[in-house]
Amino acid sequence: MSVFLPIVLNWLLAYGYPVIWFAIFIASAGFPIPSALVLLAAGAFAQAGDFNIFLLAVLALSASVCGDSAGYFIGRRWGTKVIDWLETSKWNRFIPPSSIERGRARFKKQAAWAVFLTRFLFPALGGVVNLIAGADPYPYRYFLPCDISGEILSAVIPLSLGYAFGASWEAVGDVLGSFSIFALALLAATFLALYLVRTARRSRIEKIETAKEPAIVQLKKTGTVPPDNPAQRSGELPLS
Amino acid sequence: MNMRVKFVILGVLLCLALGAAIFAAITTVQAIQQFRQQRQLTSSGDVSTIRPWMTVHYIALTYHVPENYLYHSLHIANPQLVRHATLRVLADRSNQPVDNVIHEVQKAILTYRKQNHQTGIAPHAGQLNGLPRAPGREHP
Repeated sequence: MSVFLPIVLNWLLAYGYPVIWFAIFIASAGFPIPSALVLLAAGAFAQAGDFNIFLLAVLALSASVCGDSAGYFIGRRWGTKVIDWLETSKWNRFIPPSSIERGRARFKKQAAWAVFLTRFLFPALGGVVNLIAGADPYPYRYFLPCDISGEILSAVIPLSLGYAFGASWEAVGDVLGSFSIFALALLAATFLALYLVRTARRSRIEKIETAKEPAIVQLKKTGTVPPDNPAQRSGELPLS
Repeated sequence: MNMRVKFVILGVLLCLALGAAIFAAITTVQAIQQFRQQRQLTSSGDVSTIRPWMTVHYIALTYHVPENYLYHSLHIANPQLVRHATLRVLADRSNQPVDNVIHEVQKAILTYRKQNHQTGIAPHAGQLNGLPRAPGREHP
């Protein structure tokens, strides 16, 4: 359990809805507060009649969208400069500019999915993705719909589970947390396997092309293809 | 980068990712089993599932015990002031470990159940569908 969670829960019960909004807002902006656990607990307290579940859902959604937008604009304001510096600075010896360029191109292609999935499936990466989306910069008019649709799920899932399972919300939180890690590891394994297959295929094609190259050069020079083996030269089948 | 080195690095990373996925899958299954076990204990009213984040009101609703009875057991004179306080906060205020407070609550619930089982008296005057109604609160 996070260090901040008991404090947030005490404040949540003492001061109510404003604490929920503020906790979700700063968690979405990147502060390490487990917002899913806060929402699970809030759902459990709503079951006991301490909160209104619908009001909680609206507050959680508005707070998380505002927090994500804050992260996005922080990335836009300062992140762009950091990436430009990384690309041009001669002091940066760890990440080659070509890798940064490739990463940016890849993020542009997959940004919508990255934003959507990091809202509810990989919430630990949400803050970083907001900053990168702002720094890239990924257009805000595309960022916002993906963010809202992901955040609807990220608010509704824990609130409803907390409301349904009440006192067992901590165990539900453990299930969600370990499932999130499982999904992330599975995604990484799938990506690496595909990348490995693609690299192997590319390497084989390169080998074939390298083998063909002398033949093409000779064809251009003399107009004849050099024979591959002695059997072809003599017109006979090779004897085993 | 040499192609052979690239393959080795990718292979190692793939093995690590697969290992992590298998480990996380096992953890998820264990977490689900633990959740089912805890759910079963909570629904059967087992007092070992009382946690530091619970308020007295929450415990009263979940374990079907009158709220005022629990306040009385914890020697709280003015319940209105601690209505939204968790057991952790109550422990901090009385300068004792939270486990002691939890133990006191567990003991109180067990005593209450024992008394009501022996006397056969309805648990609370404001009982609704078998649940004691806490004063000043609405059931969800």
